[in-house]
Amino acid sequence: MSNALNDSETKQTTEGTDTQPTSTTTAGETEERVREAWTDYDFAGDPKLSVEDLNVWYGDDHALKDVSMAIPENSVTALIGPSGCGKSTYLRCLNRMNDRIKAARIDGSVELDGTEIYDPNANLVELRKRIGMVFQSPNPFPKSIRENISYGPRKHGDIEKGLLARLFGRDDTAEEDELVERSLKQAALWDEVNDRLDDNALGLSGGQQQRLCIARCLAVDPEVILMDEPASALDPIATSKIEDLVEELSEEYTVVIVTHNMQQAARISDQTAVFLTGGELVEYDDTDKIFENPESQRVEDYITGKFG
Amino acid sequence: MSEGYATETTLVNAESNVYDRGLDAAIGLSVLTFALGMVTLVDAVPLSASGAALGESLGLILAVVVGGVGIVGVSSWANVTPVESQRVRGIALGLVVSTLGLTVLAYAVPVTLATLLGLTLVVEAVAVAVAGVASRVETVDTSPNTSAGLLAGVVFGALGLTLGAAIGGSLVGFDSPAWVAVALGAGLVLSALTVLPREDVGSTIPAALVVGTLGLTIATAVVGVGWQWNPQSLSGGFTGGAVIPIFVLVGAILSSWSAAKCRAGFGARGREFGAFLVINLNVFLMVAVMATIVVFVTVKGVGYALHGFTIGALSALVLLAPLLVVVVNAARTPAGTDDWHTGARQLFRLLPLAAVGSVAAVLLSVLVTGDRLAYPFTYSVQVNRAQQSLDTAIAVTPEPTVGSLLLVAPALLLSVYFFRTYGSLRNVGSRVGWAETIRQTLPLAVAGTVALTGLFLLVGPRPLGLPLGGTLGVAVVVLAAVAAVVLAALPLAGVLAGEGTLADRAQDRATLFTLGVFGSLALLTSALFLQATATVTPSVGPVNVVPGVALAGAVAASAATALVAYAKRQSGETLQRRLLGEEIALGLTGVAGFLTLLGLHVAVTKVSFTVLGVSVANAGTLSWPMTMQTYIPLGTEPGGILPAVVGTVWLVTGATLFAVPLGVGAAVFLTEYAEQGRFTALVEIATNALWSTPSIVFGLFGAAFLIPRLGGDESLLAGMLVLGFMLLPLVLITSREAVKSVPDEYRDASAALGVSQWETIKSVVLPAAMPGVITGVILGVGRIAGETAPLILVLGSTLNATESAQVLDGFRFTAQPPFVANDALLSASASLPTQVWAVIAAGVSGSPSMGWASAFVLLLVVLTFYAVGITARTYFRRKLTHE
Ligand SMILES: Nc1ncnc2c1ncn2[C@@H]1O[C@H](COP(=O)(O)OP(=O)(O)O)[C@@H](O)[C@H]1O
Ligand SMILES: [Mg+2]
Repeated sequence: MSNALNDSETKQTTEGTDTQPTSTTTAGETEERVREAWTDYDFAGDPKLSVEDLNVWYGDDHALKDVSMAIPENSVTALIGPSGCGKSTYLRCLNRMNDRIKAARIDGSVELDGTEIYDPNANLVELRKRIGMVFQSPNPFPKSIRENISYGPRKHGDIEKGLLARLFGRDDTAEEDELVERSLKQAALWDEVNDRLDDNALGLSGGQQQRLCIARCLAVDPEVILMDEPASALDPIATSKIEDLVEELSEEYTVVIVTHNMQQAARISDQTAVFLTGGELVEYDDTDKIFENPESQRVEDYITGKFG
Repeated sequence: MSEGYATETTLVNAESNVYDRGLDAAIGLSVLTFALGMVTLVDAVPLSASGAALGESLGLILAVVVGGVGIVGVSSWANVTPVESQRVRGIALGLVVSTLGLTVLAYAVPVTLATLLGLTLVVEAVAVAVAGVASRVETVDTSPNTSAGLLAGVVFGALGLTLGAAIGGSLVGFDSPAWVAVALGAGLVLSALTVLPREDVGSTIPAALVVGTLGLTIATAVVGVGWQWNPQSLSGGFTGGAVIPIFVLVGAILSSWSAAKCRAGFGARGREFGAFLVINLNVFLMVAVMATIVVFVTVKGVGYALHGFTIGALSALVLLAPLLVVVVNAARTPAGTDDWHTGARQLFRLLPLAAVGSVAAVLLSVLVTGDRLAYPFTYSVQVNRAQQSLDTAIAVTPEPTVGSLLLVAPALLLSVYFFRTYGSLRNVGSRVGWAETIRQTLPLAVAGTVALTGLFLLVGPRPLGLPLGGTLGVAVVVLAAVAAVVLAALPLAGVLAGEGTLADRAQDRATLFTLGVFGSLALLTSALFLQATATVTPSVGPVNVVPGVALAGAVAASAATALVAYAKRQSGETLQRRLLGEEIALGLTGVAGFLTLLGLHVAVTKVSFTVLGVSVANAGTLSWPMTMQTYIPLGTEPGGILPAVVGTVWLVTGATLFAVPLGVGAAVFLTEYAEQGRFTALVEIATNALWSTPSIVFGLFGAAFLIPRLGGDESLLAGMLVLGFMLLPLVLITSREAVKSVPDEYRDASAALGVSQWETIKSVVLPAAMPGVITGVILGVGRIAGETAPLILVLGSTLNATESAQVLDGFRFTAQPPFVANDALLSASASLPTQVWAVIAAGVSGSPSMGWASAFVLLLVVLTFYAVGITARTYFRRKLTHE
């Protein structure tokens, strides 16, 4: 597809035409209302996260355009699209990690269980405790495995250890041990590291480090887990372990995962959102629907590898 | 060498011919000349030496060369460090042969070292020229390029210009402009000779010309030892003593470069080999210059600094213990296989161990034979305006006594170290029911004893006239001691009793190790302090209970350790071996811990503890007048410079305490919080400028600004602050770099867990930045510790002080603000750099040798700070990567 849309074009076409979405639509016909229909995903129950008209600018660069999307609870939502299309940007909006980027300006609404997270009075600590994040490259702290896991709960005061705590009669060593074991087991890492919990985490392999990061995220007991291409830096075996893990996690957690690997999205996700160049969400539906019978021509081109 | 290779393929040419061997010898000779050039540059052997004196010096060098080459040769022969390279072998042989030759010559022919060196250069020049010609007429097989290259041309042009100027100037005089023509001519000819002909000629003949000229100039004494040249345009002048070594060094570098190129057959390989040699010689030159400074001060100062130094052999042995652990660890580190040869590494790792072993053997022999080991040292002092010669000795005495502090310090260090080495043993071994009971009652027992200690501390040992200390105190101490003995014996009993192999038993009873060692140590420690507050020392017969128990504990722990070590040797399983290693560490923790307690007991009660003729006492096993005594006015005993040492230590400590928190804080603010922009750029420029500000300016600031605000007198505090200001910029700069270089991924990860920025900085960023921060502090402390100029202005720099600053004792609490006062901080103090400056440069008082000794002590103090810094940095680095 050569002519990517810009804002003004979209608006013009909105004025002029009122076509029904068909599988043979061309780029010119892709218009706001059509896209709304394509991204309007019906599911039972309340959405865990619901995003309305989200726009992000980096300086003058409009990186995310009018994204609206409702994410169901306890499922895996995959975000796919060519690189640079704003997937990471979108993901970072969901737990307000974009606040850390000075150049970023965010406009729109994101609700977690019906509560606006961009409320000026929102509690960032609480928000990020409830929405955890796993990054593209494994980033364990240069600390022991045990300390990596208990880092979050310790900083939040859920686990207190050490001299002072002991003096005040509160020593959560046992709780810590239990938490470490539980998190590592959830992240399917326990069997590999249980005899070296006090070794430095940087000594683990890449795949183990990534699972450790997942365990670290699980240790603060989140409800939503955001994953930004968690397996892109890993070998096939480590990747498949992460994939299995994601599927397991979706029973208890709401997982939103960015991937550029379409097979991966097809394998593990329940619904898939396709972003295309320019920062627009083009289509969002059941994964099977997206991969077998997408509404948009551009999505089909992208999925079948024709997209440039 | 495998001969097979050479016949099978030309890829490896192992054969060496006369040409090769000759060149190897020439390279060896050049390297030797280079070394001799450095030796004469630092005046270790005078250039005018000749005959037997010269022979002796060269003989010493010969011994070093033969020793070095010999040990490598032997280990190569024994296949420990096989040296396969023909070139390395040849050069080594050349080195030996040429040293031998020079030594023989020195004895046989009555020439000075200078002449000898000149002749050597000439020989090298001839060798290089012959090799070049041989290659050019193709009697040998080489692969030269078409030209030696422009760079070589420029270098030789410059050399020619210099030489031509010197020669022309001395022939026709610098008054006539003809010398310029000569200089230009020589430069042009040499660079043309280098660039135009084929590489083999271009890189040998010019080199031979230059080296030969230099050699002839020296050999014919045109530039002799007594030579001097004082050009009118310069206020200084050149002397033969300085010029000859430089000629020799330049000549040696040139000839080795040229010979190396010849040896490798020119071309790419030749360039490689030539560059390799030149770079190596340069590195040696640099290292030698740096080492010279330290060695020079050491040589001049060490004698005086150690006068009257006495140490008991037993104390010395105890002090050697931590060192032993260090070298054993070094020797045990597996030598990798990558970059260097495994055997050689192992050799280097074993050397320190061997050294410590031999020192220990010497000390033991002193103990056993009972003969003092003394090195006499004579020096002179001014007494009543008369020079008086005195002598003392650096001595090791055979008294079987250990100083209590000399015992406590290393023992504590070791127990902490061993404690850290033992891993997570808490999950190992089957739990024994009754052991669990003991584990639960132990804290209660310790807490009870501590509570009693607190009581005695509050109300005294005789509250309301009741002799509670004498009754209850003694009872509890004795009870605790008995319990401690039993506990200390637990590990031993555990290993000895029961079923199965020794190793199995040891592993099964791991719980007993933890329980026994730590339980016993805790109980005994609490008993020790209870005893001090109850002012009792229960004893059985002549032996005090608490130290007796400590000794028994140490013996039991060492027995258990020995048993486990034996079991570990016997055990075949790797996992078991690893686990047993942890128990050994535990046992050793126990040994060191009990010995610490023993020393502590003596230090607290001031009663020495003797058993089997060996005693732990409070005084008399180490005496080092230079650093442990103050100046004794008008005394024949020289006394020492303790106040200056104390002053410097306080200055550095104070400055560090002031600058590090501020610097690190500012760095964190600037990097993590402040918006990067004009403000931060400005701060950066300002810090850099502050770092380059001359120290005397800081001193003036201190004198004019700080002192009026700090009571009006020069003081220790002013010195600390001024040095702190000097340290601040470096700490800030390096900390900023360190904080910046912490990967953003850590910050993201922490933020995504909902952790606040400050918490993130505290627990992730700063620990990761720590090694970098410490590097900055190390560098900065190195600078301020020796800083003299500002201290002259602000410290009051008492010379030959008779009293050291009592900073710790000086704190007083006052009723009105600022609530604490410290007179010691506000009064003048001595410091090492000002002491050195006053004694040596200003010649204020004291003998110059005392000044040198002070400089040596200053060097020691700085190195100690450095060692502390390095240790801290290693610790933090290890924490970040291993652990
Ligand atoms: N920190 C940033 N500052 C400025 N521009 C950014 C930043 N992060 C991303 N962008 C821009 O936003 C667009 C989307 O990036 P991103 O969300 O990382 O895409 P994806 O994850 O889909 O590859 C890109 O054009 C990128 O250049
Ligand atoms: Mg991305």
